[in-house]
Amino acid sequence: MRAFLLRRLVHAVFVVWGVVTVVFFLVRLTGDPAALLVDASATREEVAHARQVLGLDRPLYVQYAEFLTSAPLGDFGLSIRERRPAMRMVLEHFWPATAQLAFAALVLAVVLPIPLGVIAATHRNGVLDHASRLGSLFLQSMPSFWLGLMLILLFAVALGGLLPAYGWGTLSHLILPALTLAAAPLAQNVRLIRSGMLEVLQQDYVRTARAKGLAERGVIYRHALRNAAGPFLTVSGLSLGFMLSGTIVIETVFSWPGMGRLIVQAVPGRDFPVIQAAVFLFAILFVAVNLVVDVLQGLLDPRARVFGDGG
Amino acid sequence: MTPSHRPILWLALLVLLLPASGGAAPPTSVDGVPIDPDAELVVALTADTTNLDPRLGMGSIRSNYIRQVFESLVDVDRQGRPVPGLALSWKPVNDLTWEFALRRGVTFHDGEPFNADTVLFNLDRMFRKNLDRWGIKDVPAGTAFDKVYPFVTRWEKVDDFTVRVHTSEPSSSLWDFLGREPLVPRAWTIKHGVEALNDKPVGTGPWKLLAWKRKDHMLFERHDGYWGTPGFTKRLRLQVIPEAAARIAALRAGQVHLVEAVPPLDTEVLGKQPALRVVSSVQKLACRVYVNGRAKEAYESGGQDGLFADPRVRMALNLAVNREAIIAKIFHGLALANASPVATVAYGHAPQPPYPYDPGRARALLAEAGFSRERPLTLQLLLPAKHYGQAFDESVAAVVEMLKAVGVQVMVQTLDFGTLLQTLTKGTLPPNGGFAACRTSNNLDADDFVRDWASTTLVNWTPYPPDLLALYQSTRRQVDAGKRLALLAELQQRVRDWAPVVSLYQEKKAYAHTARVLRFVPTQELNMDFRGVALRR
Repeated sequence: MRAFLLRRLVHAVFVVWGVVTVVFFLVRLTGDPAALLVDASATREEVAHARQVLGLDRPLYVQYAEFLTSAPLGDFGLSIRERRPAMRMVLEHFWPATAQLAFAALVLAVVLPIPLGVIAATHRNGVLDHASRLGSLFLQSMPSFWLGLMLILLFAVALGGLLPAYGWGTLSHLILPALTLAAAPLAQNVRLIRSGMLEVLQQDYVRTARAKGLAERGVIYRHALRNAAGPFLTVSGLSLGFMLSGTIVIETVFSWPGMGRLIVQAVPGRDFPVIQAAVFLFAILFVAVNLVVDVLQGLLDPRARVFGDGG
Repeated sequence: MTPSHRPILWLALLVLLLPASGGAAPPTSVDGVPIDPDAELVVALTADTTNLDPRLGMGSIRSNYIRQVFESLVDVDRQGRPVPGLALSWKPVNDLTWEFALRRGVTFHDGEPFNADTVLFNLDRMFRKNLDRWGIKDVPAGTAFDKVYPFVTRWEKVDDFTVRVHTSEPSSSLWDFLGREPLVPRAWTIKHGVEALNDKPVGTGPWKLLAWKRKDHMLFERHDGYWGTPGFTKRLRLQVIPEAAARIAALRAGQVHLVEAVPPLDTEVLGKQPALRVVSSVQKLACRVYVNGRAKEAYESGGQDGLFADPRVRMALNLAVNREAIIAKIFHGLALANASPVATVAYGHAPQPPYPYDPGRARALLAEAGFSRERPLTLQLLLPAKHYGQAFDESVAAVVEMLKAVGVQVMVQTLDFGTLLQTLTKGTLPPNGGFAACRTSNNLDADDFVRDWASTTLVNWTPYPPDLLALYQSTRRQVDAGKRLALLAELQQRVRDWAPVVSLYQEKKAYAHTARVLRFVPTQELNMDFRGVALRR
């Protein structure tokens, strides 16, 4: 287990380094932030001066070397647009706003599908199953920005301001954006659990468990679900990536002051330090979650273990 | 001084001192309607500012925030006319010197007095002089004054409330390009550094910054010591709601009082709701198609002159555009056609005959210029989609079809705004290239518009020919107001006929507010003005 973790940590360092390096060069290919800072009536000399003040006139390898030495210390430089430390800005927007939203949506997308998927599978072709499949199809096909706007119109306008149309800070502010963000992965997970359960419920060991006289609840939740949960767990891990990228749209619709909104401004504004800091944080989160998922899968299903006993 | 003059002078002194005393309690009613002076006015805006230092730029988003806190020497009234701000008056002392008489008794929110030293410090920052002496850093400025206005040579304090600015050549619009820049406190900035201006700065403006939750809201408190008409609510909250539908939903739900940038389609619907009011104002935002008319030595041309150097070709493009249809169908009247290069609400604007919609004449002009069905004119049009809004994107799509209808082969390439600027900075627009873009102004004077074609800039792809350049320069150097207005009118008429760009439309901006909001008048400037705005009790 320890060797596995160590190996994965070394992999993680390379993955994160690779991602931020690719982003470092890619964003510089996409345009010059200096031109975005000056007036449209600026001359080339004014643009060149802005570039010099920003330090972007230095050779690329010098900029990269500086980045490599300072980034591991969390220093990504000053934001080009806000003139504040980039990583501080990213963390300010990530915690608590984006973390709250992503966590709430993740909980909804991971917890709710379990009973819904199980009920659909155990009532195959019944009314509940049809309703669950139809609902899942609806939620998966809905563009999230449209769903968000419809929820705003329903809860903030039609129902007389039952929930706020915008903003952040209280539980009531969290409900609509979290629901919108969770909708698609929730629907996907319901379908995954349902199909996994349908497959597992046909297996011999389930029949054996039933034949031994175990209670149906125990058969389903202790034996069948545990074996059906593999793909669900993998996809749930990946869902976090979806959640983080999904916040870009959801945060805009609901005026949620998180990382998504920061990135929405940083990318077209060519705010290199902020983009790099945000990608660095995303990469670390993504690698960490995938590591946790691998470990959990091994714990749930010995066949999936890639650690222990030299496996 | 004769005794008979004394009462007039005393009266003048009293008038000068009265506003400076400030601190008067806001009224409890306006126009006979009781108001709530302790209320919080919540205004939904499309975007948050990225910073608050005026030197970093005064674009349309930043201005809305910056001008609540900071003020400039020259203020603007509700009709867009220049009026005394931190300067009581300004005048040319001679051809090469302007003098600003400053308002007395004004203090920044932390108590620092405003005086001539403040102005000199700000001029030093604007022109990047003495930064080491003040111990402050340079910043990537939106406008590099030292490069744009190199003829401003020095500035001096005549007394504590009089400043003179000297130039090496006559400058007619100095009062505007210096006078409209927001001024930051001297001692405070030196003590806290220029970075602090981006956090929680102090200004002389009507609103004190209380809190800034980035990407969410900015909260202000009324500056009770303000020298002019203060806000009539205790607090002002500028709430960011980027999505138009969400802004309108918040307004209809009563969760905000006022929203900006109402899409044209929504104005009619909202206007019919009894609890809401829709108001609009003409803006300086002029949207255009810029085309490559540069000589081959002025850009990375591959040895070819820009295809649009011939004024007949550009005029043909202008005649091919049906602006009335665009304004009626896409903007629902919330835009106007303006054939002058100067915004209709800028000082010095002279109305010009509109470009008629005449596809037949457009085809004839193209033929005169040597283009035919066999040898068609091609235009490679760069479109920064989703940058200026949906109506802009739709307008450009309509213009493309109108140009095709007169035989122009248009190839549209959508790209993001940053990539467009990259192309313009590098000077790699192809010979048959063009781009759709809008420009606005932080200034009041026509000069900010007519200088577009004077030097090689990002947006100047059809530089003035020598005769127009000479005329332009004479407008800059003519300090006599009457003579200058005449020169400006002549320049606008000749630029209209020379047609450097394909003029599309000038924007009107729509706002909607609840009936509780009293005395809100949209400005023609980049910022909203909440002085005197009240909430019904």
